[in-house]
Amino acid sequence: MASFLALKCRGRKIGGLSIKAMAVSKFKGTQMREKHLTEMIEKKVQEAQQVCEGDQTSDECKVAWDEVEEVSQAKADLRRKLEKQDPLESFCQDNPETDECRIYED
Amino acid sequence: MAMCTVYTAHSLNSSCSISTPTKTQLGFHQKQVFFYSTVKKTSRRGSSNSSEITCSAESKTVVIGLAADSGCGKSTFMRRLTSVFGGAAEPPKGGNPDSNTLISDMTTVICLDDYHSLDRTGRKEKGVTALDPKANNFDLMYEQVKALKEGIAVEKPIYNHVTGLLDPPELIKPPKILVIEGLHPMFDPRVRELLDFSIYLDISNEVKFAWKIQRDMAERGHSLESIKASIEARKPDFDAYIDPQKQYADAVIEVLPTQLIPDDNEGKVLRVRLIMKEGVKFFSPVYLFDEGSTISWIPCGRKLTCSYPGIKFFYGPETYYGHEVSVLEMDGQFDRLDELIYVESHLSNLSTKFYGEVTQQMLKHADFPGSNNGTGLFQTIIGLKIRDLFEQIVASKAAAPLEATKA
Repeated sequence: MASFLALKCRGRKIGGLSIKAMAVSKFKGTQMREKHLTEMIEKKVQEAQQVCEGDQTSDECKVAWDEVEEVSQAKADLRRKLEKQDPLESFCQDNPETDECRIYED
Repeated sequence: MAMCTVYTAHSLNSSCSISTPTKTQLGFHQKQVFFYSTVKKTSRRGSSNSSEITCSAESKTVVIGLAADSGCGKSTFMRRLTSVFGGAAEPPKGGNPDSNTLISDMTTVICLDDYHSLDRTGRKEKGVTALDPKANNFDLMYEQVKALKEGIAVEKPIYNHVTGLLDPPELIKPPKILVIEGLHPMFDPRVRELLDFSIYLDISNEVKFAWKIQRDMAERGHSLESIKASIEARKPDFDAYIDPQKQYADAVIEVLPTQLIPDDNEGKVLRVRLIMKEGVKFFSPVYLFDEGSTISWIPCGRKLTCSYPGIKFFYGPETYYGHEVSVLEMDGQFDRLDELIYVESHLSNLSTKFYGEVTQQMLKHADFPGSNNGTGLFQTIIGLKIRDLFEQIVASKAAAPLEATKA
């Protein structure tokens, strides 16, 4: 697993599966999307676990896990885009005055 | 001399439909001199006048379908494909920042999630997953892919994966190559008919599990159990609606766990099978040594030293869902550049433009996942095959006699 990840992360040293140190969002809008998706994942996993306690084969159960998959993939896509540059970069060049485009400061 | 059929797209409503060929609304990117005649026509939408010019196929779009379960337009396959044609595919500038579309010089990649008829709330209410055909508008998908193929721009909806809502549409101009990627590119027979080439990415359950662990384990809220439960809950719909599309694909890339390491369940080393349909127009399957024969090949030996677990190839004719196919299979990993060059030099019908092009493409994206195994290799080869197919289609249409204008 380590060599695969080393290849993937262009030689950056990483332990285990943690990739938190990879890329940082620049704009408030991106930071908000990240936060939203992170919270959604947690929330949707809990929901799915609750809904499926009753009947694992029910429609509600499979829809709940499908939502988990959707938000997990969305978060992964955002992480991957961030590796290159903040996805709002071009939007914010044209709309610097919007709230989304405030430079996020730690 | 190119002659073009232009239909005013209902959404464009321009008063002057064909005056300047370079007007980007109509999706033409080059200046063309053409003759035209104005024909009075009552269209369904009530406009009484439309100009009509018969088209040469130079402006016709080649459509590729890619069925994959891993989200849209961001997949490694798409990035490799657009790279073969030159340039990187980027989201459209200046539009909705949550757009799923990717655009490069030659290609536009559309995410089929944009044709969801139900947003996240709607699906929850109706009790359907995104995998279910009931959650997708196939009529609109067909209409718009058909329009783009004919050289007409469309206003395509946007499904926002962050909010789970359907956002206002974005304008898509017909590209040279249109790729439609998602869960159901080959589900609707009418859409299938529009595809010039189709690919299905078939990931086995064990590998899917391993990949999703890599994707999700760092997320708060996820655990091995939740990742497993999510895959299992989606499996019935996946098997019912997505998997059957395999039989229609011109090429299937099947990703399985390796057979070189007993009990390997990390999904690190992969066995990848490129299943290529025989008899597809403009597509000649890749082969090893002797076309149509059956070969087992281990390149590692006296001339090539490989590290553990090595590399094993297989090639041969098979039957797949009732079709004749040729299968090229690679199990193992590339550890060094010379292994890749060595393998490339023994494969035939690669549709490369120069010796070593496959290796060069793989090196260009050495940081992409799969760059050291069959997934990267076969995705790159399919990319070159699509380029070849595209060039053949363009050449064949240019050679055809120009159609007469409609009276």
